[in-house]
Amino acid sequence: MNGNELSIAIRNCLGEFTTYSEELGDLDQALGDGDLGITVSLGAAAAAEALNALPETATPSEVVLACAKAFANANPSTMAALVAGALLAGSRVWGDTPSIEGEQIGRFALAAAESISQRGKSQVGDKTILDAMFPAAEALLATDAGESGLDAAIVAAENGVIASKELQSRRGRASWLQERSIGLQDPGATAYLRFLQSWKATNAPVDASTATPSA
Amino acid sequence: MKKIINEPAAFVDEFVEGILLAHPDLLKTPADDRRVLVRADAPVAGKVGIVTGGGSGHLPLFKGYVGRGLCDGVAIGNVFSSPSSAQVLEATKAVSGGAGVLYLYGNYGGDVFNFDLATDMAELEGIPTLTAIGRDDVASQPKERSADRRGVAGILFAFKGAGAAAERGDTLEQVAAVAEDIIDNTATMGIGISPTILPTTGKPSFELGDGEMEVGIGIHGEPGFHRGELESADRIAERLTERLVADLGIGSGDRVAVLVNGMGATPLEELYLLFRRVHQLLSEQGITISKNYIGEYATSLEMAGASISLLALNDERLALLNAPAESPFFKEA
Repeated sequence: MNGNELSIAIRNCLGEFTTYSEELGDLDQALGDGDLGITVSLGAAAAAEALNALPETATPSEVVLACAKAFANANPSTMAALVAGALLAGSRVWGDTPSIEGEQIGRFALAAAESISQRGKSQVGDKTILDAMFPAAEALLATDAGESGLDAAIVAAENGVIASKELQSRRGRASWLQERSIGLQDPGATAYLRFLQSWKATNAPVDASTATPSA
Repeated sequence: MKKIINEPAAFVDEFVEGILLAHPDLLKTPADDRRVLVRADAPVAGKVGIVTGGGSGHLPLFKGYVGRGLCDGVAIGNVFSSPSSAQVLEATKAVSGGAGVLYLYGNYGGDVFNFDLATDMAELEGIPTLTAIGRDDVASQPKERSADRRGVAGILFAFKGAGAAAERGDTLEQVAAVAEDIIDNTATMGIGISPTILPTTGKPSFELGDGEMEVGIGIHGEPGFHRGELESADRIAERLTERLVADLGIGSGDRVAVLVNGMGATPLEELYLLFRRVHQLLSEQGITISKNYIGEYATSLEMAGASISLLALNDERLALLNAPAESPFFKEA
């Protein structure tokens, strides 16, 4: 996938992703301060606008950088800053390569998760977005050629979301709820799952092996 | 609510505009949104730049310490909320003189996240940065968790010392080390006796009964560790000083700088009452006050109350405090 293909895929995905804003806002209302829906809708719109303005010759990491800056500035919140930092960390993995494929996607996802882990001082099990991100990144990296990494990542992220439901929040505002956070679905982890699902719904099949050959 | 304001939502932009109009010889804005102020002579070629930032509502904290021998730029958030990473980056680019930029600000989640993100973005622009975070409020965490303490008025010492180090030509690593050294040797604690009123909501930030005080309060009205009957100035000074001296582990023969800070609505006279008793207490213990600052340095709009900060001194730290500095809100001969 070159930069322009990536840019189109992201814009497709974001259009679908923002339909989940209300669900994410409601989940965040129960556990945090309720601004996740706004962060997602404003951030996605700003990122799409930034991509529209980008030349078609942009590299994959330039595409991701444009998204990061737009997302961070659209609505400066803790989540926006963490996500933008994650995108920057992921883009570093790619350097200035003109095209990305296979393992590079998994390594991007892992670097992004590690960035949030380090900056948010949080790990898997703290009931955060990382409960979906780390398992999904590992699934992407463990996928053999020919298998759909995206499908494996979605299953892993979904299991992470389900498992996190029974956990007690240990980071951010949600941690003030203490044991009352148990049973509530984590909005950040859910957002990551919905992002992957949106990607599949709008861009699948993404694997070269299953793609329809062009005429 | 009784305040001298126009549109509550325009509060920050309008007072920043006022500051710019009042001090065009000392300050300028490199951006259109007026949420970034830098020294009028920025960038200074070859000098490490220092960028600070944080929420509004604390003047002269943050934006008041932009000037010669202090910080070079500031990113300005809404009242009690963080500036964006884009604003931090704008300030960074505007003060970068080729020797790197130090981020020096208080320990609050939103500020940390946005400055960290700006670090990554500055790197993409080819500007190296280092970070030092003020965390002087001894009431917010015990000594063994001092990395998690809030940053309050004592950050003035770090602005002053790091600013002097940058001005004399230290490298980025050296300026950052100066800031860290001062932060490690600073302790602050405050009391509140009446709340602040947020311009956007018109509501007080906390409730405190007549005749009550909150000990260990934060500069946004965050709760302290003790609420009780309002005590005399002497007793308050004793409470705070005792805790600060113990936290810093100083004693007979040591030297300190003292900052008695008003939170916004406490008269200067009352701050001098506090300083009088602090001076007596330290003298009794054989601790010398080599430098003192008494006035409003970190406020919380019209919150009444005061904080006391101590910086344990050595020759190097004292020399940095004594170096020349000037901003619209701060003068040192």
